[in-house]
Amino acid sequence: MPSTQTPPITGLAKDPTSLRPPIDDAQIERIEPAQLHARLVELKARGYSMLLDIGAVDYPERAPRFDVVYHLLQMPLKRASVAEVGTPKRLRLLCGLPAETAVLPTATDLWLNANWAEREIFDLFGISFDGHPDMRRIQMPNDWEGHPLRKDYPLRGPAREKSPRPSFALKSNVQAGTPPSGRTLEALQQQIARVRGQDTKS
Amino acid sequence: MTLSAMPLTPDVLSQDGNSMVLSMGPQHPSTHGVLQIMLEIEGETVTKAEPEIGYLHTGIEKNCENLFWNQAQTNVERMDYLAPSNNAFCYVMAVEKLLGVTDEVPERARQIRVLFAELTRVASHCFWLGTHAIDLGALSGIFYCLDLRENILDLQEAAGGARMHPNYLRVGGVNGDLPAGFLEKLDALIEKYPVRMRDLRGLLQKNPILQDRTVDVGIVTPQEAVAWSLTGPSLRGSGIAYDVRKAFPYSGYETYEFDVPTREEGDSYARFLVRLDEMDEAMRIVRQVRKRLEKPGPTMTDNAKIAAPPKETIALSMEALIHHFKIMSEGFRVPPGDVYQATESPRGELAYYIVSDGGNRPYRIRTRPPSLYNLQSLKGMAPGNLIADLVVMIGSLDPVFGEVDR
Repeated sequence: MPSTQTPPITGLAKDPTSLRPPIDDAQIERIEPAQLHARLVELKARGYSMLLDIGAVDYPERAPRFDVVYHLLQMPLKRASVAEVGTPKRLRLLCGLPAETAVLPTATDLWLNANWAEREIFDLFGISFDGHPDMRRIQMPNDWEGHPLRKDYPLRGPAREKSPRPSFALKSNVQAGTPPSGRTLEALQQQIARVRGQDTKS
Repeated sequence: MTLSAMPLTPDVLSQDGNSMVLSMGPQHPSTHGVLQIMLEIEGETVTKAEPEIGYLHTGIEKNCENLFWNQAQTNVERMDYLAPSNNAFCYVMAVEKLLGVTDEVPERARQIRVLFAELTRVASHCFWLGTHAIDLGALSGIFYCLDLRENILDLQEAAGGARMHPNYLRVGGVNGDLPAGFLEKLDALIEKYPVRMRDLRGLLQKNPILQDRTVDVGIVTPQEAVAWSLTGPSLRGSGIAYDVRKAFPYSGYETYEFDVPTREEGDSYARFLVRLDEMDEAMRIVRQVRKRLEKPGPTMTDNAKIAAPPKETIALSMEALIHHFKIMSEGFRVPPGDVYQATESPRGELAYYIVSDGGNRPYRIRTRPPSLYNLQSLKGMAPGNLIADLVVMIGSLDPVFGEVDR
């Protein structure tokens, strides 16, 4: 949660990927969910043999809401020296996905490591993968509610408010504002005693 | 905990004949952290292994979305806690790319970044070597390893102020020049390293017990390594010489002379030797950086929009005061866009996919954690091996759970 002294400065971009500066980090492609699996099969056949990572980003004010991002790398499938590996090509595949149908075809049939990557996206974003052999939470406990990396998931929930905290961080003190400088030790001790008194009563 | 409450996969539960299900961890000395592995075993042979992770999940990626760009870096360093500077290195380069200030970073700052990346690589491998040796029954090695690592932690403390998480790198350079007496300490380390490494190699590398335990255990073919997306020493142990420092040079790595050690066998011993050789290569780079550091120079960009001006100038210049206040109170803004920045961490390709919406906080930081994917390959590696060999395999993959779970 941002500090109370510094109000958040949020960016204005609703679709940052469309505004990206010219950075030479990978070849970038956008693809529809319906064509995704066929495209992945084709790319794998073209030598993109390593699936480096699958990530996801939530843009609540954009349609489609989610971006699932595949990072691919061209890698030889046999022993290779530094010169033979050279500078392999990188490819980034961005797949826009609406919130209503947050389901994608799995890539586990193509790359073994897609298993945990897809489970993590399911766990933290609530996007499930059709055909995945083991679709369950991976980072959060099995009985957790909600998907934490969605933008509408609060950083602090009701459970967090109930947890014990030092007196200076109590909500009433934070709302009253930080006292002006020059606070004496006595005033601080009084405040602590007052808060402790409140805490023991409740 | 009852067996029914355990997070079992349906596959692991379906047992027949003489097999049984065993939960190894999450509190087990040989799992190097909080890793639980659900094992299906027949006698002492593993027929199926399903690692269960997430016990150390702290929501670092979520937290970073609510911090300034510079504050997020502090959290990012906590992922791979054995090589904190490597995380910060990757992060600051990604943010600099989005800002378009990659060329503004002074030469000396780039050298210092390389120095710390390589020093933490040695420190991280030292810790791995010691704990891996303990897994194999060689208890004395770790004292030599930690002694060497302690010298590197001293250097981190001298430069950044903290032993474990120095937080020394900054977007735009590094936080202040190296302190007086740093280079002398570095010289002492450079002098001590070959002697210590000779002892360690003598103690462990040709140790017949260690070879018995690791040779031909956990063999990964190049095809399997690529399919599991192994990177770093785990991939190079299978013969593919993919090193991000060579394939996509950054921060001046193309100007340093170093080799990429590889082995063809693909077993645990091959990965062991690759890491030992990598330590030597890292120190080779450190020696080259040491020579270049003789020449003084600025260590931070003078672009006041992203880096606070030096404290001394505040009393003299109104503008410096304003910039200092702005950076400290609301950070800097990063233009909208997304970037994928990869670096070679001690464990493999560590990368950040960062999205900015133009605000003063990261919109999304997705880590490509090398440990996560390296550890996942255990599912393919373990079946058919003994439980005792499983311990060797975990050690030979060198996972760090701060990074696996984040």
